[in-house]
Amino acid sequence: MIEIKNIIKSFPNTPTPVLKGITLKIEDGDFVSLVGKSGSGKSTLLYIISTLDTPSEGEIFYDSKNLKDFRPEEIYQLRNRNIGFVFQFHYLLTELTAIENILLPARKANEVEKRRDFAMNLLNTVGLEGKAHRYPAELSGGEQQRLAIARALVMEPKYIFADEPTGNLDSANGKIIMDLFKKFNQEKGTTIIYVTHDVDFAEIAKRKINLIDGKLV
Amino acid sequence: MMFLSIRQLMARKKQSLLILLGIVIGSSAYVAISGMMLGFQTYMLDQLVNNEAHIRISAREEILTIAEMASYPEASHVFWQIPPSGRKDSTRIEYPLGWFKKLDSDKDVAAYSPQVVAQVIFNKNKITRVGRIIGSQYERQIKVTNIENYMKAGTFKAMGNSGNRIIMGTKLMELLGTRLQETILVSTGHGIPQPFKIVGAFETGIKTIDEGTSFISLADAQKLRGTPSEITDIAVKLFDSNWAEEKSTLWKNNARDKVLSWQESSAAILSVFKTQDIVRNSMTISIILVAGFGIYNILSILVNQKRRDIAILRSMGFSPKDIVQLFFNQGMLLGLIGGAIGLILGFIICTIMSHIEVVPGRMSGPGNYMIISFNIFIYIKAFSIAIFTAIISSIIPAMAGGKLEPMQIIRSGDQ
Repeated sequence: MIEIKNIIKSFPNTPTPVLKGITLKIEDGDFVSLVGKSGSGKSTLLYIISTLDTPSEGEIFYDSKNLKDFRPEEIYQLRNRNIGFVFQFHYLLTELTAIENILLPARKANEVEKRRDFAMNLLNTVGLEGKAHRYPAELSGGEQQRLAIARALVMEPKYIFADEPTGNLDSANGKIIMDLFKKFNQEKGTTIIYVTHDVDFAEIAKRKINLIDGKLV
Repeated sequence: MMFLSIRQLMARKKQSLLILLGIVIGSSAYVAISGMMLGFQTYMLDQLVNNEAHIRISAREEILTIAEMASYPEASHVFWQIPPSGRKDSTRIEYPLGWFKKLDSDKDVAAYSPQVVAQVIFNKNKITRVGRIIGSQYERQIKVTNIENYMKAGTFKAMGNSGNRIIMGTKLMELLGTRLQETILVSTGHGIPQPFKIVGAFETGIKTIDEGTSFISLADAQKLRGTPSEITDIAVKLFDSNWAEEKSTLWKNNARDKVLSWQESSAAILSVFKTQDIVRNSMTISIILVAGFGIYNILSILVNQKRRDIAILRSMGFSPKDIVQLFFNQGMLLGLIGGAIGLILGFIICTIMSHIEVVPGRMSGPGNYMIISFNIFIYIKAFSIAIFTAIISSIIPAMAGGKLEPMQIIRSGDQ
């Protein structure tokens, strides 16, 4: 479970904080969409919850343990083992093949061989069977994003954070991505928190969190 | 991170090959130039050290000054209209037995050879040449110098301990128009010239020695000079030639005779060697420096180009140390591979050069081939320079990459 308490985030050259005292709980197995207008602070909130950014004030607890008490190595391990990220842009490594990209987190954990079969299964699950040895440049935009999802899932993380994962895709490919999230949430119990502008995709989530001007509505 | 480092290097084949080429050229140039210069230097040093003596004790030389005259009791009453000048040389070592005792008891002394060295005139028919003779006992002389190695005809032993037999430099024989077994006349300028039979010929490769030096027995030299039982020099060989300077300084303090180490007598050549070393090192460092800047530039550009990769790697749990490693490995790999290829290429160039025939006496050793050093330290130094350059030029951009925070990159909107 993730619990955040009274999160405030300010940036040096902005007069008002982007996040103004946000408190919320995300239960294990939750499927949450973060929605709001541009500049409402939803991406900032996502990155703070996911440990990539730090709040100016407030506290975040992962299974009741305050993030402030984590040593840097523990944070890196948390990201490697328990968190998967999907960004608006696929952020795949162009020098690596599809399967090598998927196995990157496993490489950090020294579990490449252990997770190779699982990675191949994931590749099939996201509809990329037969494309394991293709380079990202040889895949379409939708395929690249599905590959990024497979990479986020290879360590079987407890949480998936996605920042506008369909933002760069057409509606058909966007639907495939959202269906994949739904599937993993239902079948594996993965907690999924995603930011979206798309009203229809936001409705797919079990829980919708709306932000207006840095506050929860 | 090595896997990813290799893949990134392979993805930029042209750039990687160019940097590699710089390192290869730098390290192979160092090996080849050093091999050539050090080979020549080693040969020259061997000639300087082992053809003459590690330390030469010779009759004293004194320059006359007014101060020298002050020791006389009447000196205070003397006012010089023309101050005294000139040299007050001795023609012999004053107390050779004292030196022999000292040298016999010194544990650092490997061998010594009493000598009579004199300027002489060689004469064959109407041809006259000026040169020097070294009179010595052959059994002692061969322990002090390596002259035996340079014998082209006959043996050094053939000069015997008397009997007017001479061993000459090949060039001197050519200049006199004489050959083995013929007789020439030798004169010190005082007394009647004496006939000597040529029983051997040597060639060191050093023009001044080959054109102007001859060896005769000590007894014959004393007879030639008309000074029986006198010696002018003692050539000393130490167990380690590097001790010569220290030893000669020590001996100078307690002797009236002139004591000179090989380093002192070859100071001019040694300073040329030092200049050669500076040129060699600065030339190679310049080449390697250019390669180093290549690594630095390309890795700096790479770190900038790979910002989004850094962001995603950090989001997967890779630490800043891993990111440093990712880029540092690439510089190190280039240094290691480039250095290794450079050493092999340098070795091949050296091997080819060592088979090049050159004009005798000019950078050539025995057999008139170029003298090349294959000293292991040249290779160790070349490899170390390549690695050191790679470390320095890759650590800075690698650390810059390690300092990048994922949010910095994501916020800046890198795609």
